[in-house]
Amino acid sequence: MIHDLAPQLFNGLVLGAFYAIVAIGLSLIMNLTGTINMAHGSFMTLAGYLAYSLVLRGTSFWFALIAAPLIVVVVGIVVERALVRPLYKREPFYSLLMTFGLSLIAEEVYRLIWGPNGVPFSPPPALNGTVALGFMNFPTFRIFIAVALIIAILALAFFLTRTRFGLRLRAAVQDTEMIAALGTNTQVLYAVNFGLGIFLAGIAGVLAAGMLGLSPTSGNALLMPAFVTVIIGGMGSLFGSIVGGLLIGMAISLTTLFIPAASEVSMYILMAVVLLVRPRGLFGEEGIFG
Amino acid sequence: MTARSELIVSAVVVAVLACAPFLSPLVHLDISIVSEVLVTALAVMSANLLLGYTGLPAFGNAAYFGLGAYGAALSVKYFNVDFVVAVLVGMLAALVGGLILGPFLLRRRGIYFGLLSIAFGQVFYFIAYRYTDVTGGEDGMNFPRPPIGIIHVVLREASFYYLVLAVFVVCLIAFRTVVRSPFGRTLVAIRQNETRVRYLGLNTDRFIFVALLISATMAGLGGALFGLLINFAYPLELDWHQSGYFVLMMILGGAGTVWGSLVGAFIYVIGKDIISTITPLWQIFLGALFVACVLGFPRGIVGSIQALRRGGAQTFADDDVNAAFDANAPVEIGRGV
Amino acid sequence: MTRPILSRRNFVTLAGAGTAAAFGIPAYLPRIGEAADTIKLGLLEPYTGVYAGPAENETHGFDMAVDAWNKRGGIMGRKIELVKEDEQNDPGVAAQKARKLVNQDKVVALCGTVSSGVSLSVAGVANTLGTLFMDSGGHSDDVTGKSCHWNVFRTCHSTWMETHATGYSLAKRFGKKWFLITPDYAYGHSLETGFKDVLARIGGTIVGDELTPLGTTDFSSYLTKIDAAKPDVVMVLVQGDDYTNCLKQMNQFGLLKKYAVGGPQVELEPLYGLPPEARQGYWGIEWYYKSEKTLGKNNKVAQQFVADTIKRVGKPPTARNAFGYITLDRLAQAMTDAKSVDPVKVARAIEGVHFNSIFNGTAYYRKEDHQLMWPMWVAKIRPDGTPGDKYDLFDVTDTEAAEAVEQTIAEKEKVCKLGYP
Repeated sequence: MIHDLAPQLFNGLVLGAFYAIVAIGLSLIMNLTGTINMAHGSFMTLAGYLAYSLVLRGTSFWFALIAAPLIVVVVGIVVERALVRPLYKREPFYSLLMTFGLSLIAEEVYRLIWGPNGVPFSPPPALNGTVALGFMNFPTFRIFIAVALIIAILALAFFLTRTRFGLRLRAAVQDTEMIAALGTNTQVLYAVNFGLGIFLAGIAGVLAAGMLGLSPTSGNALLMPAFVTVIIGGMGSLFGSIVGGLLIGMAISLTTLFIPAASEVSMYILMAVVLLVRPRGLFGEEGIFG
Repeated sequence: MTARSELIVSAVVVAVLACAPFLSPLVHLDISIVSEVLVTALAVMSANLLLGYTGLPAFGNAAYFGLGAYGAALSVKYFNVDFVVAVLVGMLAALVGGLILGPFLLRRRGIYFGLLSIAFGQVFYFIAYRYTDVTGGEDGMNFPRPPIGIIHVVLREASFYYLVLAVFVVCLIAFRTVVRSPFGRTLVAIRQNETRVRYLGLNTDRFIFVALLISATMAGLGGALFGLLINFAYPLELDWHQSGYFVLMMILGGAGTVWGSLVGAFIYVIGKDIISTITPLWQIFLGALFVACVLGFPRGIVGSIQALRRGGAQTFADDDVNAAFDANAPVEIGRGV
Repeated sequence: MTRPILSRRNFVTLAGAGTAAAFGIPAYLPRIGEAADTIKLGLLEPYTGVYAGPAENETHGFDMAVDAWNKRGGIMGRKIELVKEDEQNDPGVAAQKARKLVNQDKVVALCGTVSSGVSLSVAGVANTLGTLFMDSGGHSDDVTGKSCHWNVFRTCHSTWMETHATGYSLAKRFGKKWFLITPDYAYGHSLETGFKDVLARIGGTIVGDELTPLGTTDFSSYLTKIDAAKPDVVMVLVQGDDYTNCLKQMNQFGLLKKYAVGGPQVELEPLYGLPPEARQGYWGIEWYYKSEKTLGKNNKVAQQFVADTIKRVGKPPTARNAFGYITLDRLAQAMTDAKSVDPVKVARAIEGVHFNSIFNGTAYYRKEDHQLMWPMWVAKIRPDGTPGDKYDLFDVTDTEAAEAVEQTIAEKEKVCKLGYP
C-alpha cells in the first residue's frame, strides 16, 4: 500500500499544481469585481487551439506557449469591456449567466473553425518523455507544468507586491471606492485585472492541450474542478487557490486509490461541506460574497 | 392591470392554447412540443418562486425536475403503476429531495445558496449516471405510458396535451394565489431585506423552506409529466446546465411575474426547436440569447410590458415584483438576488 | 429629461430579435408544405455536441446512398428525400424531433443516431408511432436485446460483438492477463461484462479493473497502478475525448512502450485527434476504407464508394460513413422488394435477407433480433499512416465472423421479443 501511495501522492501534487493555475486566474477575476467567469474554460480551449494553429504554421512550442495566451488576452479584454463591464453593478449571478451563454457560443465557434473532432497537440519531444524517479516513471511534461506553476506564482507575487500597478490592484480589492477617490482609473484596473486572469487561463489552456485532448468541448471538463478549488481555497484569496488546487489534486488521487467510484462526486461533496461549514473557504476573506 | 382585464387576457391565452392541436401543424410543429412548453413552464415557475420572488439563486431545480422524471419512470417500470400514481410518485420523489436538501440549503444565502444547489444537483446527476442497473445509467431508461387507472385509457398525443394543459392551468392559478397571498408577499419582503423581516418577528427560514418545498414539488410535477411525454428519463435532465436553462427562461419571460414562466418557456422551447431545424448553429443563437437577455433585457418580456404600462417611469409600484430586475433599479429596492 | 419608454438597449435587443426572425422564418417556410411524390426519410444525428464528427460522417454516407438511389430513379419511381434533424445528443430532444419528423414531416422511416441513449429513446418513440427505425450508429446491446422491437434494426456492431471480436484476438496475440480501464457508466459496464465473458471462456484473468468515473480528464491515478499489476495487455475501454486523454497520458507515462495496449473499438475520428506518438495498439474496427480484408477482393461498389467520398468530402470514409450508406441502401432495397412503404411489410423484407455491399462477403439483418450480422475486424494502428496517405492509420490483421462473436439466437431470444403487431 505504501508503495502505491507515493506515486499517487506525487501525482496528485502535480495535478493539483495544474488546477491551481486555473483557479488563480478564476480567483483574480472574481476577487476584484465579483465576476463569476463560466467562460474560463472556453478561454483555455481557445488558447489551446491557437497554440495548435501556431505550431501547425511552423512556430515553436515555446513561442506558442506565450503568444497564444497573449492573443486570448486581447479577446478577453474586448469581452470584458463589451460584455462584463455592464454587469459590475449587479449581482454575481448575472455574470454567471452571461458567461455561461458565452461558453455556448464559444463551443460552437470552435467547432466551426477547427472542426468537431479533436485535434492532435503535443508538447515538444524534449518534454514528451518520462523521468525515472526511483519509485515511478513520471511524465516530463507534468514536471514542466509544476515548474510553470511555480514561475507563474513567483511572477504574480512579484507583480502584486513590487509593482505600483500590482499595489493598486490589491488596494482596489480591499476598497475600490477609496482608490478611485485617490485618482486611479478603475476602469483600466478592471480591464487589466481581467486580462491577467485570462492570461493565466491561456497558459493553463496550452498546458492542458499538451496533457489532455483538444476538442471544442475540452474546456467544460476543467471548469467545475476549478470552481470547486476556488471555493475550497477561499474566494478572495490567491493563496487559497493554490492550496485548494493542491488539496483537490491530492484528494482526487487518493480517492482514486481507495474508492475510485467516488472521486468525481467527492469533489462536489467536498464543495458542499466547505460551503456549509465555512463558506469563505480555507483562506477566503469576507466581503464580496458575504 | 385590473382584475377584469387580467381575466380576459388569461381567458384568451387559455383559449389559444386549447386550440393548439389544430394550430401547431400549421407552423410545422408537433403538439408534443407544445406539451413540452407547458411542462417546462412548470419547472420555470418553480425557479421563479425561488429566484424571482424570494431572491435566492435557484440553480438546482433541474435536480427536482429529474427526480420527478425518474420517480415516474422507476415506479412504472418496476411497479407497473398507473398514470396518476406515476405522477404522484414523481412529485413525492422531488418533495423528498427538497426535504433532504432544504435544511442544508437554508444555511446560506446569495451566491453560496446557488453554488450549494449546483453541488447537490450534481450529486443526484452522479447517482442517476452511475447506478446503471436501476436507472439505466447514461443511456437513460425507456418506460411506457401507463393508462389512467379508473378509465383504463392510455392518453395519446392530443389527449395527453389536454391533460397537461389542465394541469398547467391549475398550477398557474395556484402559483398566482401563492404569490399574491400574505405568504407570497413575505417572500418578496425577504428578497428585499431579510434582516428587516426577521426583526419583524418572522422566522424567515421557515418561509424559505416552504417556498423550497413548493418549488421542488412543482418542478417534480413538470419532470414527471415530461418523462411521461417522451417515455424516457435520462441523467442530462438533472445536470446544472438544465438548471441554467430554466433560469434563462425565467429571465427571458420575466422574473417575478406570473405569466413570465410560460412566455419564457414558450420562446425557448419552440425557438430552439425551430432554429435547430434550420441550422446546426442553433447553439450560437442560444448563447447569444443568454448574453443579450442578461445585458439588455433583464426584466424579460412580461416585466418590460408591465413597466411600459406604468409609463416606463421610475415608479416601482407595490405589485411590481419584477422591478428589482431592472438594470437601473435603485439600491433601496433591494436586489437581493 | 424623461426616460424613454423603451430604453435604447431594449430597443436594440428587440430590433435584433425581429431582424433575426425576419430572416429566419423564410428559411423555415419551405419545410411547410409537401412534395407528394417523394419518399421522405427522417435522419436524426447529433450535429452538435461531442459526437458531431461521427454524425457528419454518417450523414455523408446516408447522402451518398440517397444520391446513388435517386440516380437510378429512386424507390418505386419516387425520389428519396432525407429530412435531417439535430438530436443534440439528448434523448429528450431526439424523442420530440422523432415525433415531428413522423407526424409533421410525414417521413416513412427514421434513421441515424450515434449515442445509445438517443437510440433507445428514438426506438421507443418509433415503436409507439408504428414507424421503422434504422439505428445506424448506436451500439448498446439493448437495442437488439431487452429493448428490441419489431420496427427497430441496427447496422453497427453490438457491444458484445466488439468485445468478443477483440477479446479472442488479443488474447491469442498477447496473453490472458488483462488490465482494464473502464468508463464507469452503462457503456463501460457492458464492455466490461463482454470481456469478462471472453476471459471466462478462454480461462483468462483480470489483473486490474479501474473504473474511471464520469468526467475523468486525468487518468494518471489509474495508470500508476499498471506496473504493479503486470498485465499481458492493457485494455482501454474509454471512448471519444476520454480515449484521447488516456492514450496521450499513457504515452507520457512511458506505458505504451512497456505494455501491449488494445481495446474493443476505436474510430478514426478520435484517432486523428491523437498525436502520432500516442497512436499504438490493436483495436476493434467496424469497417475500413483501404483493406482487402474489410472491403473484399475487387469489390467495385466499395471502391466506388471510397472514391466518391474522397471526391465529395476530401477525406476517405470512416466506419461511420459506411454505417450510413449500408443502412439507407438496405432500407431502400427492402422498400423496393416489398413494393411498399408500410413498416411491417418493409421490416419483413429486411430481416433475414442476405446481401452484398461495401464490405467483404455477405451479411443479413438477423430475423430474431434485427442485428446486422457482418464481420468485425481487428487492426494495428500505423502511427503515421502510409507514404502518401496520412489517413491510412489501420493495418487490418484479423477478421472475425459475426456469428462467432455475437450472442447466439437462443441467448437473444431469452431477452428479445420483437412483438410484431
